[in-house]
Formats: sequence, structure tokens, C-alpha cells
Amino acid sequence: MTFALQASLFFRRKLLETLRQPVWIVTGLSTPLLYLALFEPLLKSVAGGAGLPPGQVLDVFVPGILALMAFGAGMGAGWVVIWEMDSGVIERLRVTPASRFALLLGTVLRDVVMFAVPAVAVIAIAIGFGFHAHWGGLALMLLLLAALTASCSATSSALGISLKQIGSLAAVVTGVQLPLTLLSGILLPLSLGPGWLRVLGHFNPMYYAVQAARDLTAGAIATATVGIGFLVTVAIAVLALWWGTRSYHKAMV
Amino acid sequence: MPVIGSPPDAVRTSGLRKAFRVKNRAVEAVSGIDLTVAAGQIFGFLGPNGAGKTTTLRILTTLLPADAGEAFVAGADVRRSPLQVRRRIGYVGQLGGADAPATGRENLLLQGRLYGLGAAETARRAAELTEALDLGAFADRPARSYSGGQRRRLEVALGIMHRPRVLFLDEPTTGLDPQNRANLWDQLRELRRTGTTIFLTTHYLDEADQLSDRLAIIDHGRVIAEGTPAGLKRRYSGDTIDITPSLPSASLPSLEHDLASDPFVRAARTSGDSIRLSVTDATQAMAAVFSLLAGRGIGIRAASFAQPSLDDVFLRETGRSLRDAGAAAGHDAAASTGENASTGEKVPA
Repeated sequence: MTFALQASLFFRRKLLETLRQPVWIVTGLSTPLLYLALFEPLLKSVAGGAGLPPGQVLDVFVPGILALMAFGAGMGAGWVVIWEMDSGVIERLRVTPASRFALLLGTVLRDVVMFAVPAVAVIAIAIGFGFHAHWGGLALMLLLLAALTASCSATSSALGISLKQIGSLAAVVTGVQLPLTLLSGILLPLSLGPGWLRVLGHFNPMYYAVQAARDLTAGAIATATVGIGFLVTVAIAVLALWWGTRSYHKAMV
Repeated sequence: MPVIGSPPDAVRTSGLRKAFRVKNRAVEAVSGIDLTVAAGQIFGFLGPNGAGKTTTLRILTTLLPADAGEAFVAGADVRRSPLQVRRRIGYVGQLGGADAPATGRENLLLQGRLYGLGAAETARRAAELTEALDLGAFADRPARSYSGGQRRRLEVALGIMHRPRVLFLDEPTTGLDPQNRANLWDQLRELRRTGTTIFLTTHYLDEADQLSDRLAIIDHGRVIAEGTPAGLKRRYSGDTIDITPSLPSASLPSLEHDLASDPFVRAARTSGDSIRLSVTDATQAMAAVFSLLAGRGIGIRAASFAQPSLDDVFLRETGRSLRDAGAAAGHDAAASTGENASTGEKVPA
């Protein structure tokens, strides 16, 4: 009860913080729409090849865009944590009896909302342009990607707390962003690539989430890919939340 | 279990130690600190930068685990029951801790709820504190728009939102202008009046001297002196008289010799055209010195006397002046060769 109250207080605090900076809301929505508008025509021209059947470009591409949004919505958390450490906010909150997990969860839940709201908007717009989706699968996919956002958010917070410097955090996040997103087949399915690239992809936890997301939007719910996707993503989320909570326990400037 | 009728000490530590690894070398920041702070007083923790004040404070406020030793705060064991300690203490850190994007009131409301106060009680308390700390006019503006003094008042309000038994403040007046500083001192005294124990660190001599009921002086992770400000000064050094006779400087040494033989004078030293006397009691010594000079027909161009400052206490214990110690951390030897008895901080009217 106390825990739920604390988590909701922290969530409210973070949500207010975001709503007061409308620039985040605008970019949160405009970036995926730009991808749709600018990248989709490019994809169309390569469609018809091995892994990309013609006429269904959006069906392959939209889950990728959503995964990218899930990743992006979470990875920003660390910046704010560093700023909050430097201004003593984290230290002050650590001296209160509040649960550290609730503190972490406030940010994580806000990030999940900041992923889910534009995601629904992007789906609605994509449907207008011919995206076919299975409703049940779509709902499950949003759940799966919310877990991905939670992982990214908790990881970003933990990284921010241990790296302490904005510069170091930026280097690490941009450093992992490209291989993680490319090797998960977010923009282009890995099946288009050579064998060694596909093997590499299997070492990337995000790969399983993206594969499962594609199955789910296609309405293939009871597949091994979906099972593995949930298993890997939830396991990573649990690990990340544990790491983030532990980091808050020790956070020190 | 605390005995009924006698409130437990607000803070009690024994053998507190903490080392950090710096460049693969263990550096001890706190090297065996024993402290007892009685409930209801303002306790000053005075020392130069890097002396271990903040580390000690962080151990006491459950932010940092100690390597060794025990600490009890507001009757609870810091190591075994940190949650109990957190419920009973307030903390105003050096970095502040106000949430800049949120308004002052939102800051206060969140803080109150986190300590388990109900919504109505929290709102009432927030209103009370915005009034008491003069935050009313901008309570609904984001904290990032506050001036330094306003923000510090908000941070103090955050620290006492839940009426803690012990309030810890880390360098609370650093960066404040004299006006805001005086205001904060008044507010802390008011808080003591209502029964809150206040534990504050400072590197300002006058702050430790004027604000604290008792104080401990810390250097290199150890407490080197402890007592009331007046008691410490009395114990460690007497008063000082500076006298500038109307004599050519060549004849000063013999006068210095004669003055030194006066029973009230502990030591005499000539510097420039004046003689500095360390005396047990300035009022009595002043009369003796004046009559000695008058008897020889020597005029006086200037005379002043100064009571000892806490810096003299620090100097006696460490061989360095506290003023230099902060800046000269790392090359302490250089600081101790300079000026010796640099009193004269408070020349009475």
C-alpha cells in the first residue's frame, strides 16, 4: 500500500515534469511519423526481395518503428538522473523513508506512458496508410514493447548513476544504440542480411522482442518466436529493474 | 530501550571509520569519530574542506555505510535500522535537493507524503512552512526560478516538513549573502526552541561560534576538540592585547622584555611597531600594562584587545590556521609557517 502510494507519487512527479516540457511530446510523436513518411517510400522500392514481400512493407516496418520508439522512450532516463544527482534531489529522496524501487518505478512508468501514447497514435496513422494489424496481437505487442521501454529506462538510470557524467552516458548510449537497433532488425529485417549478421543478431536481446513483435502484429500469437520474445524481454526487464534499484540504493555524487 | 524520562542522545557514535579508494589507494576520510550530541541543542561540526565532515554526515543520515564503528541517531541504529533513522531525521544536503522543475509547494507536498503524512495534513504543514519561511509569494512558481536564498529556505522547509527529531544540515549557509545567512541562523534557533536537535557542518568560524551550543572541531577525519564555543576558547588560549607605544622601534625589545615579566602576561612578541601580548585576562592585564607605560612616561598611539577565536583553537591543535587549511589542503606545512596568533576577529566596542 505504502509502496503503491510512493510509486504513484513519483510517477505523478515525473509525468508533470514531462507535460511541462511540451517539446518532448512533440518530438516523441514527430520522429516516428517522420520515419513513416521518409523511410517507408525507400523500403517500398526495395520490396519484393527475399525477406520483404511486396505490398506488406508497412506490416514489417511498423513493428520496427514501434520497437525503436520503445527503445528511445526509455533511454533518456539517465540524463535526468545525472542532473538530479548533481542538484542533490536523489540524495534528498534517499534520506526519506521512500522505497528506492518506487523511486525508479516513477520514471519507468512515465517512460512507458511516453512510449505507449505516441505508439497508439502511430498505429492509428499507419492503419490509415494500409497497415494490417491483428488487434489481439497488437495489444500483446504493446505490452511486450512496454517491457522493453521499462528495461531501457531502468538501464539508462542505472548507467547514469554509475557513470555520473552526461558525456560518458551519451557516449555509451549512442555507442550501443546503432548495433542494438541494427542487429535487432528494427529498420530492415535481418533475414535480408548474410548469415553472419543473422548469427550476431541472436546475441542481441532486442532481436527477440522485434521478431516477436512482427509475429504478433501479423496475428501469429501462439508461436515459439513470441514465447521466446516475451521470455527474453521480461527476463531483461527484471534484471534491469533490479540493477536500477540497486543503483539508487548506492547513488552518490 | 531508552529510559523513560531521559531522552536518548540525538546522535551517538563510537569509532566511526570510512575509507574511499582514490586511484587504487585507500584514503581514510573518517578515522575513528566518537561523538555525543544531546537532544535539543545546535551542534556544530567545524573543520576545513576535506576534513571528513560531509562523510560523517552521510554516514549519520544513512546515505553511506561506515566501514567500522557504531552510530545511533534519534535512538535508532544507523546500520541495523536505517528506515527508523530516516523516519526520524531531516536532511538538508550541500547540493540542496530542491526539485527544480516542480514548484515549491509541489516539492513540499511530495516530501510530506513520502514521510507518510496524509494529504490534508501535508497541505496544512506545507502552508504553515511557506508562511514561516517566507516562501508564500512564489510557492507556486517552479523552484528553478528561485534566488539562492529562496531556494535554501525551500530546502530547509523540505528538511523539516515531517517535524524530524534531528535535522542535519551540510554547510547550510555556503553561498548565501550576509542577510540570508542571518535569517537562516534565526530560523535554526527558532527550530531549536521548538525542540529539534540541529546538527550542522560548517567551515565558517563565526557560524560555529555564534550558532552552536556545542561543537566539535574535525581535521583529517578526527575530532581534535569538543566543547562549548566559549569553553574551547578559554581552554585553549587567552586574550590578546596589541599595543603600539610612541617609541622608536629600536627600544621596543627592552619594553617587550619588561612587559613579559608582568604576572598577567603569558607571552610577548614584537611585530613591526607594535607589541602583541598573550594574556590570561585582558581587562586586568590592560590596566597593568597602561600603568607600566604611564609610569615611564611612554605614550600610546594605539591599543586594542581581542578575545580568542576558534581559529586559535584549531591552530593550537593542528599548527595550521583554519582559514589556510581549506585552501592549503595537501600542503599543510606551508600554512603553519606563516602568521601565528591571528586573532582580532572580534574586537569589542
